[in-house]
Amino acid sequence: MSGATSRFEELAGVVGVDIVSERDSRLITLPRNTEEVAAVLRYADANGLGVQVVGAGTKRGWAGAVRGEVTLEMRGLAGVCEHSWQDLTATLRAGTTWAEMQRVLAEHRQMVALDPLWADRATVGGVIATNDSGALRLRYGSLRDLVIGMTIVLADGTIARSGGKVVKNVAGYDLHKLMIGAFGTLAVVTEVTFRLHGIPRSTRVWSFEAAHAGACGEVLMKVLDSQLSVQAMQLRASAAGFALDVEIASINELIWEQWNLLNSYVGGAGVSPDDVFGARQRLFAGDGVVVKVTMLPSAIARFSAEVARMRGEAVTQASGIMIARVADASAVQRLRDLAAAEDVGSVTVLRGADGLGVLPSAGDAAVVMREIKRRFDAKGILNPGVAVGG
Amino acid sequence: MLSDSILSELRAAVPGGLITAASELQTYECDGLTNFRTMPGAVALPRSAEQVQSVVRICARHGIPFVGRGSGTGLSGGALPAEDSVVISFPRMNRILSLDIPNQRVVVEPGVINLHVTDAVAPYGYFYAPDPSSQSVCTIGGNVAENSGGAHCLKYGFTTTHVLGMEVVLPGGELVHFGAAVPDAPGYDLAGVFVGSEGTLGVATRLTLRIVKRPETVQVLLAAFDSIRAAGQTVSDIIAEGMLPAALEIMDRLSAKAAEAAVHANYPVCEALLLVELDGPAAEVAAQIAKTTALCGKNGAWEVRRAQTAEERALVWKGRKAAFAAVGRISPNYIVQDGVIPRTALPDVLEEITRMADAVNLRIANVFHAGDGNLHPLVLYDKAVPGQEEIALDLSYRILHVCVDRGGSITGEHGVGREKQEAMGYMFAEPDLATMQRVRVAFDPRNICNPDKVFPRTKLCGEKTGPYTPHPLEEKGVAEFF
Repeated sequence: MSGATSRFEELAGVVGVDIVSERDSRLITLPRNTEEVAAVLRYADANGLGVQVVGAGTKRGWAGAVRGEVTLEMRGLAGVCEHSWQDLTATLRAGTTWAEMQRVLAEHRQMVALDPLWADRATVGGVIATNDSGALRLRYGSLRDLVIGMTIVLADGTIARSGGKVVKNVAGYDLHKLMIGAFGTLAVVTEVTFRLHGIPRSTRVWSFEAAHAGACGEVLMKVLDSQLSVQAMQLRASAAGFALDVEIASINELIWEQWNLLNSYVGGAGVSPDDVFGARQRLFAGDGVVVKVTMLPSAIARFSAEVARMRGEAVTQASGIMIARVADASAVQRLRDLAAAEDVGSVTVLRGADGLGVLPSAGDAAVVMREIKRRFDAKGILNPGVAVGG
Repeated sequence: MLSDSILSELRAAVPGGLITAASELQTYECDGLTNFRTMPGAVALPRSAEQVQSVVRICARHGIPFVGRGSGTGLSGGALPAEDSVVISFPRMNRILSLDIPNQRVVVEPGVINLHVTDAVAPYGYFYAPDPSSQSVCTIGGNVAENSGGAHCLKYGFTTTHVLGMEVVLPGGELVHFGAAVPDAPGYDLAGVFVGSEGTLGVATRLTLRIVKRPETVQVLLAAFDSIRAAGQTVSDIIAEGMLPAALEIMDRLSAKAAEAAVHANYPVCEALLLVELDGPAAEVAAQIAKTTALCGKNGAWEVRRAQTAEERALVWKGRKAAFAAVGRISPNYIVQDGVIPRTALPDVLEEITRMADAVNLRIANVFHAGDGNLHPLVLYDKAVPGQEEIALDLSYRILHVCVDRGGSITGEHGVGREKQEAMGYMFAEPDLATMQRVRVAFDPRNICNPDKVFPRTKLCGEKTGPYTPHPLEEKGVAEFF
């Protein structure tokens, strides 16, 4: 009898045989609720087994290779626990796909105002672990502004809740903010409560193309300083040229008024292309290295021009987050040099030449992060191999 | 008493900036929650992050507790010193260091007054959104500690949404940086955890803030209703329509009457006064005003009035912001409570609160941020009547239990501090609090950074936590409000 087999029997004995299986001498667990997640983690922690936490796997590799003898599949924890539509809040299990969540919320014309990558497959928990966000962030903020409560399970099986079901709440530490972007290294998120927004009654995308990044950047800065009802804005860059996409969300009469105002900014007429905000996701379809670069809005045109010059492709949200596909490591270094020259911002490799990403260092704050990690997961069993903050 | 040698170390750390005379220390013995008072051992007035580091290092070396303090307007005792502790106060670190209008960023020192940020960026058409009622005197450092809100956080969010990055002196004296001027700083979101940690994780010495474009139009509607239920229903209807007003406030008869007497805001006399502020592009606001007016009518408002001028709007708000203090005109003493409930529970909870007050023959004036379910019941009583204060305190804390039982919170914006330590045990289970403690000790293993706050005291003493029990009456009094 191999060690893994006896572990399988042990774990099955603890959590029930119907949620454990074995594949290539790895233990695969498919818990259905928070308590089962806790039971799996307690077992792994007691036996010093690494646990790989998996949602839909859409962003696997973003933080490098994950080791671990146990896989914790989260898709069994799916569904909406509660949609208090009149309170504009909803609580969901972390394995719910983003699209399924939005479908349910849309029955009351509501949404979680965030547009992550691969929404059709990505899970709520995975989006939280990677702190993904799209162009809507300009108006509605990031997950930090949208998540108001959470249930988490620590490595030792402790089940803890923070926040609550009301938006305004300053009781206790916001543990849930600590989980956003933690790549599952501090605890496993099992339930999440979001604040919701109404789906805008009418929206329209205005796009403007230019041969030079500066022309798009100028309009972008002008829109940021305007009274326009913009909910999303991005600058697309490639060797073929540049485009600025502005999504107006307002009442019908105002949309056309603002459309005309945007036209007056460029002395021309904008167009309204289809699915233009899917451009970010399409960057991942091709070969090459994919990076996330953060910057001030005023630097967006400079970075965009550089990516295009290197014959790469980029989509940059007006909030200052660029996703770029470039050829190789030297192009990444070039972007790092540019970020260093800007004195603010960072470059994260989401998908390297070897298919794996690398998380950047958090500088002087890393010492606190390591200490928090130690206090939350003393044996380092959660997503081993991933070092958040360096 | 701090020893002479420690005092001389501190003196050297903040040249010309150490207060030790008992008469001067008295200023720092409490914050806005004046019924808790403790004399600190010394007050340091640093001029730089380096000086803050020096002071904190001395404290760390000797195991002396310290607490950061802004203007002392907090309402939960967050800045209450520990005995013989060092208060670090920031009147000498009050510079706005840089304005980057195109990128909508401002860098400030922690002692900058909230309103001064808006004053600095107003010429460019911007404002700093969090607006606690004390905004003309409270500091950004204090706002960050408490994650301050304000009437307009319904639409614009709390301090946490508007603080992008910070330089922090850790409880061990190290200088570190959380967050950044750009989104998604590498690593765990320590900026998100630090904001609202009530001064227990370190002392901020520099903050990068986000500013917001001033809306094209601002309009304020006042609507008079015969019942809180009708006003509350209107609030739900407005939100259900998909509108997100800048503010949605309700005052009941008692508080509106008090505010009227104080500032002559020209409020209609009614059971429930609803105040709606809408802002944005003019055409959008006009459409929303029409919709809101119709919803008020549908729910039985017998008067809907639009403030016609900027002066009228300012007066309406002045009355609202003065409501707490104005209640002093109709009652010798009062307690302000700060609880949160899901918005839809508003009418039921208010009726329950009224029943609870009737049962003990006390009056409650209600002022609340109705849009986000944040209640501020003001429990009126007379200290001169033997036993009444005790009854009032008990009532005030039972109201918090009602909030928690309804799925709400024990505090929406005033914080836990010293005041609500025990109520934390009612809202959170032992493992929740223990997990938060893991965060605290990661920052402050010596337990010297604003100790004995936020977490239930019984737990710190190793006793079992349980349902909340009121503080001993003799320690309690009435908070002052700004």
